[in-house]
Amino acid sequence: MTKKSFPFLVTGGELKQYEQPGYYAGYSTMSQKKSWDEATQKVVTDRVEKVPSIRFFSQEEAALLGAVIARVMPQDDRSEERTIPILPVLDERLYKNSLNGFRYEDMPPDREAYRLAIKAIEEMTQERFGRSFTDLTVHRQELILKSLHDGRPEPSHAVWQTMPVHRFWAMLMEDCVTAYYSHPWAWDEIGFGGPAYPRGYMRLENGLAEPWEKEERRYEWNAPADSLSSEQEKDAPPEYSSLHGHGGSH
Amino acid sequence: MAHHLGPMQTLPSPMRRFTENDPVDYCIVGVGSAGGVLTQRLARAGFRVVALEAGPFWDTEKDWVSDERGSHELYWNDLRITGGTHPLALGENNSGKGVGGGSVHWAAFTPRFHPSDFRIYTEDGVGTDWPISYGDLKPYYELLEREIPVAGPAWFPWGDPHGHPYGPHPLGGVGDVLVRGCTNLGIRSVAGGPVAILSASHGDRPHCIYRGFCLQGCKVGAKASTLITHVPDAISHGAEIRAHAMAFRVSVREDGRVDGVMYFDREGKEHFQRARAVIVSGYAIETPRLLFNSACPGHRHGLANSSGTLGKYLMAQAGNVVAGRFEELIRLYKAPPAHALSEEFYETDPRRGFARGFAIQTVGPLPVGFAKHMVAAMGAWGWGMRRVMMDYNHWATLGVLGEILPWEDNRIELAEEKDQYGLPVAKVTFNLHDNDKKLIEFGKNKVIEVMFAAGAKQVVQEPRFAHLVGAARMGSDPSTSVVDKFGRTHDIPNLFVCDGSILPTQGSANPGLTIQALAARTADYLIKQGNAIFYSNRRDMDEPGIRYDLSPPYTRFKGNPRIA
Repeated sequence: MTKKSFPFLVTGGELKQYEQPGYYAGYSTMSQKKSWDEATQKVVTDRVEKVPSIRFFSQEEAALLGAVIARVMPQDDRSEERTIPILPVLDERLYKNSLNGFRYEDMPPDREAYRLAIKAIEEMTQERFGRSFTDLTVHRQELILKSLHDGRPEPSHAVWQTMPVHRFWAMLMEDCVTAYYSHPWAWDEIGFGGPAYPRGYMRLENGLAEPWEKEERRYEWNAPADSLSSEQEKDAPPEYSSLHGHGGSH
Repeated sequence: MAHHLGPMQTLPSPMRRFTENDPVDYCIVGVGSAGGVLTQRLARAGFRVVALEAGPFWDTEKDWVSDERGSHELYWNDLRITGGTHPLALGENNSGKGVGGGSVHWAAFTPRFHPSDFRIYTEDGVGTDWPISYGDLKPYYELLEREIPVAGPAWFPWGDPHGHPYGPHPLGGVGDVLVRGCTNLGIRSVAGGPVAILSASHGDRPHCIYRGFCLQGCKVGAKASTLITHVPDAISHGAEIRAHAMAFRVSVREDGRVDGVMYFDREGKEHFQRARAVIVSGYAIETPRLLFNSACPGHRHGLANSSGTLGKYLMAQAGNVVAGRFEELIRLYKAPPAHALSEEFYETDPRRGFARGFAIQTVGPLPVGFAKHMVAAMGAWGWGMRRVMMDYNHWATLGVLGEILPWEDNRIELAEEKDQYGLPVAKVTFNLHDNDKKLIEFGKNKVIEVMFAAGAKQVVQEPRFAHLVGAARMGSDPSTSVVDKFGRTHDIPNLFVCDGSILPTQGSANPGLTIQALAARTADYLIKQGNAIFYSNRRDMDEPGIRYDLSPPYTRFKGNPRIA
């Protein structure tokens, strides 16, 4: 049973119910755990079973940021017990002050950046809608967030005069996708093979599945009909031209 | 329990320990691509060597995982400040910490530099010439290609055409896209290498299993890192690798020679390792940072900086990632990310309107890395992110690897902020110049064209940068460079720099092989000079002649094929 209702729906139907999101029904990377090395088994299993508690953010901050994350990395199509923890992973990073090796000269330290952004989002919401971000409809939450994504905060707020909004947005997104796509349930969703030592792969070409992987079974997947985050941009907005990739691809 | 370096190899035990007050011959700072090779060579030649490494001494079975997020500790994660018009992403993008350094998480592409790379000022009036030629380095390229060893095509047609000692790897989905797209446009390509990954077992290192986690540290031991290729042999020959040792000052005596390195241990306690000569191999950020932090009377602006060029002429390569979505499945996580390339656009072509060129290479981001690309390339978020990631297996990714010229204003300085040891952190400034911008625009569009020619239905791209070199460049003129052609600082006769920071220019080739080749050459020079390094201020500029008897086991005389 997928959870959450869509109070913002004005058109279209609800999300369809699937066994698990994605096109690889019945695929489970965790079922392959016995073929992984010991150290990897431990890291991935702990990720699933030991969710850290919130230690860095206050209760209020955690509530607001949790609501933000629920929209920038939505999981309404996942059941409650199969929801991938994101806020706890981010909270732990900030609690330990674990950095990614650099800070832009025009950005405050990561911890401060998040605190400033939480405050700004709440005050923007109060000004625009007269209530707290957490109490807004999903549609109004998306309006606020889309304005940050587009690099044109609506309404404007003093915090974004000193902290470049596109840099904060990139950090937020990267923290969210790091938590989500490092989780084995997300690997099941996208058909990623997961850890592969010592077994390895034998079918390298033509997108062929290993015997223990699943074939893709596509169907028409639709995001909630009027979500503002569902559109596929052709290319990033112009603000992103100064935003460079942070990953270590080559 | 044995300390594993790959599933079959273990760390030689016991490791020799030197006492701090007993001066060693060489103290090497940083055990990465260069430091690993240097330590091994100097130990084999009988010198007493201590190598300090800021990070841990990895046990590959215990410490490494087949997992992106679980590999965070492989990178230099300490604070650095990045700025300029095009600020560089650091951390996982380009810096390692721990024995093996960046060679632990490099993709292991090992193309050589082209002969033209050593004289771009003479040929094109840009950048600067090297104080050495391709011919000086060529025997070292061949030697290191055997020692690492490199797998690749028997015929590599660009630059100085050559073959590779180990056979090429089978083609994966992304490599197939590169070859198909290039072929449809009449562009030559090669596949299966050159890459420092074993296509067949080698000594006590197994062959590749194509699991795709090259950038997370190769647990298989198939991908070369100095941790498994040179460090074990160094220890067998009496070198000491001291891990968790963060160097903070190179100490200068009154007579102007250095006499050792001060460092913090894991607990933050200060130590002083005495040495008769010091080699700094900390890479393009930490090397200048250490030399700046070692400033003292007589060297007010940092050691080896009488020219004022220390920290300047920092380079990163254009590393735009072009992603294409295909109707058919690719499954880009299989096979090594580095396994096909084209250097057809490497050299200057006056018709293009800019100097120098670029390479086209496969890249293979795993899910977290790919999602980050989609943040920057598409502005993906929310349900849009979920949707694009559900198609992860339909995407292929190619990288531009473009030459950015050395500019004085691209530099490392000290920031006001301090790290956990109270040391000023590095501030990195990076600006693109006109030639760079034109080159990136052309290269990006060419790779987009290749992606469409391969049959992609949708193509997006993300600007980014790869690798870091320069900032302590070598040259013949002491007023415009930091070190001479052997890595000896112009200012201090027993202080050397040997790592990527000494590169005067960078070509469009991944720098790892060149850094290791330069390290082997510097080692030959030091060995030939013998004790003179430790007391004489005379600077012998004669080539040392290559030594073929210092290679690690199993690597001697395994020939580099020359088919044509």
